[in-house]
Amino acid sequence: MRRWGVTQYARTEGILAEPIGDLWAVFCPTSGETSLLNNESMAVLEVLEAGPAGTAAICGALAEDSGESIEALEGLIEACWAQLIEMGLVRELRVPRTMLG
Amino acid sequence: MSSAPRSHQTLGDTDTLAFAKVLADAGFGIDVGAVSVHVRSDSKLFARQLQSVYAHFPLMDRAQWADVHLTINRASGFRRLIRPQVILQCDGRQPFEPFPANAPLPLFEWGCNWMIGQRLNDLLLLHAGAVERDGLALLLPAMPGSGKSTLTAALSLRGWRLLSDEFGAFNPDSGTFRALLKPVALKNQSIEVIRTFAPNAVFGPEFPNTRKGTVAHLAAEPDAVERRHESARPGAVVLPKWQAGSPTRWEPLTENVLFGALAFNAFNYSVLGATGFRSVVRLVRQCPGWQLVYSDLDDALATIDAAWPQVRERQLAAGQ
Repeated sequence: MRRWGVTQYARTEGILAEPIGDLWAVFCPTSGETSLLNNESMAVLEVLEAGPAGTAAICGALAEDSGESIEALEGLIEACWAQLIEMGLVRELRVPRTMLG
Repeated sequence: MSSAPRSHQTLGDTDTLAFAKVLADAGFGIDVGAVSVHVRSDSKLFARQLQSVYAHFPLMDRAQWADVHLTINRASGFRRLIRPQVILQCDGRQPFEPFPANAPLPLFEWGCNWMIGQRLNDLLLLHAGAVERDGLALLLPAMPGSGKSTLTAALSLRGWRLLSDEFGAFNPDSGTFRALLKPVALKNQSIEVIRTFAPNAVFGPEFPNTRKGTVAHLAAEPDAVERRHESARPGAVVLPKWQAGSPTRWEPLTENVLFGALAFNAFNYSVLGATGFRSVVRLVRQCPGWQLVYSDLDDALATIDAAWPQVRERQLAAGQ
């Protein structure tokens, strides 16, 4: 969380995802690249399908679905962002606090 | 895209001098299945080399469409006297360094494959050997040095129909593989392996000291030439790996290894975008896959033959 606002993440539009064995093949239409993702990263993308969200909100949603604790999920999710951004699958949004309602 | 030509005269039937003149004047068209190639050349040696490995291909009518146009001419000036060379050009470009004048055929084959990889974006071009049996394609994707060409060549000499040594050409619209039937380029020890395996196999000349070592081209069987416009439905994928002294190992591939072997080893996967992605997903869903580690070619073929009825039954059931 930054002093002037919070960081949220938005899923790139038009992503195609298919389960391939124990991984997910994900095609990014903006980069044209295909990546293989594990279940944790794919779960994050699925939550983001509903709209941009920050780590806390995503952890909340996933904790509810998986029964894992929010604390346990936070580390996993934080570790996903750099890779998902590099793959072009999500982008970072800096949202001023005043816009968060 | 080419359609079936109607010509009865084959390249092998044609007098070499007459063919060399045609090649130098109007040029010559070769229909290899999914694509046709037009080539012109002032090299009489090239005419003879083409005849050695494309003997069963019909002579195409001059008026027929060609997808790829190439010229291979002898270098001019003093280079005709000192270490003479041949130069390949396509669309006014010279994508490769000149080759020695006695090696126009490997230059043609590499140039042709390069152009097909650049041009044929209505098909997903997997980097794989491809053969057919029972209307089903067996794909052999692999990295260089894996024994892909050796295994593809051996299969094509034991009752499997060669579709291509280099391209698994998948049509996303029809969901079938097409032939890109060119000679199998064998390198180094593979040449002797296949000569021993099939003493009657027809080879072009050997070219020592190329970038890939010694290269020789194995001509496609007449039946494969005759049937080069027949498509094949996806059958199975085998990832070959030649390993000196290894017993034959045959292990199922996980879907994600199969996906990677097809998508990340294709010529134009990224160019095709979502179509490429959907095609590979479809192939992974449809085709069983195995890793084949081998050193004994006969044993490797017997292993594939033994697994094939299972593939045929599965694909038959899926098609009903």
